[in-house]
Amino acid sequence: MSDALIQALGLGVEIAGRRIIDGVSLSATRGQTVAIVGPNGAGKTTLLRALAGLLPSEGELEVGGYDPRIIDAAACAQTRAYCAQKPVSAWDYRVSDLGEIIGDPAGYAHWLTKLQLGEFSDRRLSELSGGEQKGAHLAMAFAALEEPFGGALLLDEPAAALDLSRQEAVRQAIMAFAQAGAACVVATHDLSFAQRCDLVAVLSEGRLIAAGEPASTLTPAIISEVWGAWASSAS
Amino acid sequence: MTATKAWMAGGVLLAGLVVLALSVGTQGFGWGDGGSLLLLRSPRVLAALAAGLALGIGGAAQQGVFRNPLADPGLTGVFGGALFGIAVLLGLFPEAAWHRAWFIPAAAFAGALGTSALLTLFGSGGSASRLLLTGLGLNAFTAAGTLVIASRSGESRELLTNGAYGDWLGMATLELTWLPVLLCLAAALLLLPLARSLDLLSFGEDSARGFGCDVGSSRRKAVLLTALAAAAATCLVGQVAFIGLLAPHLARALAGPRHAHVLPLSALLGAVLLLGADTIGRGLWPQAPLSAAAVTAVIGAPLFIWIARGRHE
Repeated sequence: MSDALIQALGLGVEIAGRRIIDGVSLSATRGQTVAIVGPNGAGKTTLLRALAGLLPSEGELEVGGYDPRIIDAAACAQTRAYCAQKPVSAWDYRVSDLGEIIGDPAGYAHWLTKLQLGEFSDRRLSELSGGEQKGAHLAMAFAALEEPFGGALLLDEPAAALDLSRQEAVRQAIMAFAQAGAACVVATHDLSFAQRCDLVAVLSEGRLIAAGEPASTLTPAIISEVWGAWASSAS
Repeated sequence: MTATKAWMAGGVLLAGLVVLALSVGTQGFGWGDGGSLLLLRSPRVLAALAAGLALGIGGAAQQGVFRNPLADPGLTGVFGGALFGIAVLLGLFPEAAWHRAWFIPAAAFAGALGTSALLTLFGSGGSASRLLLTGLGLNAFTAAGTLVIASRSGESRELLTNGAYGDWLGMATLELTWLPVLLCLAAALLLLPLARSLDLLSFGEDSARGFGCDVGSSRRKAVLLTALAAAAATCLVGQVAFIGLLAPHLARALAGPRHAHVLPLSALLGAVLLLGADTIGRGLWPQAPLSAAAVTAVIGAPLFIWIARGRHE
């Protein structure tokens, strides 16, 4: 097998008889950042969940050397971390509780500070805005991988609902995590962030339209084809 | 309040209650000649402590696993299922039921597990009201089943009716209570290690799995052990609602929502609440004691409405 940390070949996901992801192949090596972009309903979240092994899928999949669909959850968490698009919490924890829950309060505090949320450590989640709550959960994902090197970080819309300063803090944290040796895959609508990533995967209606460096994938022709086609079909 | 202070306050309250509970009863205040009344009341106090502990921690676990602050084995039909299991055994095999100490707890466990499985199947994964409506249906079904069996089995009729009103503490003896007491303690001890999983489950299934929680296994364990706790508690006291609702709410208010605190503190507060309710029922009306279930309902029902209202708003 190659030295890819994330390797998906012909990944497919079907939910309730509907094909959401169709034959997607994607790979990321150590230190790479990958942006999954596409219009609403393209399948970005489903692809990210499939890569994290959170959904039944067909095709070949390896993350950190293991197939996340078959290894046990605890072992899987050693190789990849995941943050959902809209993280929820049934109980009103203090922000600092989240670090205790993942078993690494110091690491959590470190990433909370990196994401400019250190001052909220003693607040309850209900006292934070939606974006700040998302940041608190993102810090969990960053801290959950004990060692970035060799791990995979899968984030769904990490900077959504954050103010400009914190958006940039999240982007820089992702880049720093990748530089430390992780493979970071981010589902996002933020094309300016996608431009800064090493690779971009353009998704439309569950299929991979283009994959490669930003210069070759975020071209006016592809953007027009994917977003324009989606806009006209939506109307 | 910190968790340590909550523990200390709860511990002192419980110790005081135990002394008071051992001192009051239908035969007057005090411990009697040579502690005769003390010996007489001890099984009842022990049963109330163990059942309250199981109800408290069982409620916390059920709220955690369903991510729903209104979940309570009494309201979601699990106690009803336990009593129905006992009713089926007494109705079908009235003679055999008492031959082995574990027959009645086993029947209660089968009933509680059955309703837990149906609750998980039909009530989970949706809104809070879906869980409660499913529990309401299960409660109605098991209550009707228990009533039908009770009305057709002469000698068990009074026993089952008393069980439905949560009025079994009065017949506690060491012979009847030792096994359910041990089962209550076992269920509580086995639920404690699930604290981290219940915390992770509160973030939703994807996030929980993302952070290494084996969601299926954790849920199965929690549901199984909650059923065991409910079954064992039912064998001791009958059907008592609201302890499983109130104890976790108080625990969260005192020590925060982390299950490492909520589970053990709910057990302590459950014991305080049930023993307190039983002692109030006996102490205020010694000649015609009120059942612990009646006292907890008087306190618990308004609180339930308040919590539901707060949640809705």
